[in-house]
Amino acid sequence: MIEQLKNIWQRRELLWYIVKLQMKAEKKNKALGFAWSFLDPLLLLLVYIVLVHYIFGRGGPQFPVLLFIALLSWRWFTSSLSRSVTSVTSKVGLIQSVRFPLAVLPLSGIIIGFFDWLFGFVILLPMLFIFEASLTVNILWLPLLLLIQFVGTVGACLIVAVVGTYLSDLGNIIQFLIRLGFYLSPILYSVEGMVPERLTMLYMLGNPFAGLMESYKSVVIRGAPPNEYALWGAAVAVIAFLGGLWYFSRDEYKLVKSI
Amino acid sequence: MINVSDLGIKFRIEKRRRSRAFTFLFERSHNRQRPTDEFWALRHVSFTVERGETVGIIGRNGSGKSTLLRVIAGIYPPDEGKVSVGGEVSTLFSLGTGFNAELSGRDNIYLNGIMMGLTKEQIDGISDAIIEFAELGDFIDIPVRTYSSGMRLRLGFAIAIHCDKDIVLIDEIMGAGDAAFRQKAEAEMNRIMGERTVILVSHAMGTIERFATRVIWLNRGVMAAMGEPKEVIEQYLAESKVKKRPPDEE
Repeated sequence: MIEQLKNIWQRRELLWYIVKLQMKAEKKNKALGFAWSFLDPLLLLLVYIVLVHYIFGRGGPQFPVLLFIALLSWRWFTSSLSRSVTSVTSKVGLIQSVRFPLAVLPLSGIIIGFFDWLFGFVILLPMLFIFEASLTVNILWLPLLLLIQFVGTVGACLIVAVVGTYLSDLGNIIQFLIRLGFYLSPILYSVEGMVPERLTMLYMLGNPFAGLMESYKSVVIRGAPPNEYALWGAAVAVIAFLGGLWYFSRDEYKLVKSI
Repeated sequence: MINVSDLGIKFRIEKRRRSRAFTFLFERSHNRQRPTDEFWALRHVSFTVERGETVGIIGRNGSGKSTLLRVIAGIYPPDEGKVSVGGEVSTLFSLGTGFNAELSGRDNIYLNGIMMGLTKEQIDGISDAIIEFAELGDFIDIPVRTYSSGMRLRLGFAIAIHCDKDIVLIDEIMGAGDAAFRQKAEAEMNRIMGERTVILVSHAMGTIERFATRVIWLNRGVMAAMGEPKEVIEQYLAESKVKKRPPDEE
């Protein structure tokens, strides 16, 4: 497993190139090209604002920014997962041409997703002032939260990349789970005021993402320290990371033969 | 340079095209182990290649030629036996797989170079030579999906030959292409021969005979013969003519 990490580190230039060229290939054929990096999250945000704010009449004055930070982070996680299902099978030609650590394929999807997060964050910044978010020193927690999410996403994506190669139905299953997870996570709503107090602990432990989501909202918008359940999220992330790395390393060579 | 001893490569074939997970979930345990599902793409293959040799590999479709190249490239680990390769291997190109069709030829040069472990600076140094050799002109900056198969082929060959690696693997890349390009490719082959170790897979016996210093004939994953190009090619051609085609192939 440490060997695996070393290999990936040695081929970081390759990883970077795959990310760069993949992003280029994705944007190239579109009339608006690069602008979609900003338009995508913005349009998605608008849909939910109309839905929750105007149709259901819910959400407080800071709802758009609370939703946006959670939505960006959720999107980073789910786009990484969807990309990673086919990350190995879609690169058959490359895999059969030259030897390289296959883990760079799911990893590149996660990094591309993080760039989308960053583009979204750039749009969020002016909104923070419009919606009078309280910027405090707590925003310094943000990199740590991102790191927790990155570590956990890597673990999940490594597992998904392997299983997705054996089982092409995984794509459909993942899409369903993503949809379900969206409503089960505090994205459109906040835990406080939505989840009954006696169920809060159960909810937060059942969904390790919830603590992280609430923490994003706290440190970026509310100017508060992270939610204590972010620690639980971190523990799950580390376990997923180690498990994913172990599973991927074990099956890496079998993958090459089964595509 | 390359030392292969008693190499075996095994594939699992799913007869009913069911994934492992499906089998695991829905089939009774006595059905899970089907010993006939194993297929040896290569078995008991042993040979050594010295530095500077050009070894040709011949054999019918499905005889394990490409699999053997992939083993030398380090893509498949041996299931049996040992393989040691004492040098850096260039990318294995078979008719331009390994290109990202959405990207331009130039981007693909960089992608493939980096994949082989070259640095960006090294590729900067050779990219002009590659573009010139591949005769792509203005096409180099438009997506590879618009290329003709000949253009992909030229680009693939140009990259493989210009990346300065000790071992060059060429899979059925000489036979295709038009006459002019073939001439150029052959001139290039002559230039690198002796200097670098080349493993050449081809169905074009003329090409094999011209370049190979030694020929390996693979038949259904085992070595049928190895030796002087002329002799082995004669044996191979004689065998393929006389023998009836086995019903399960092609």
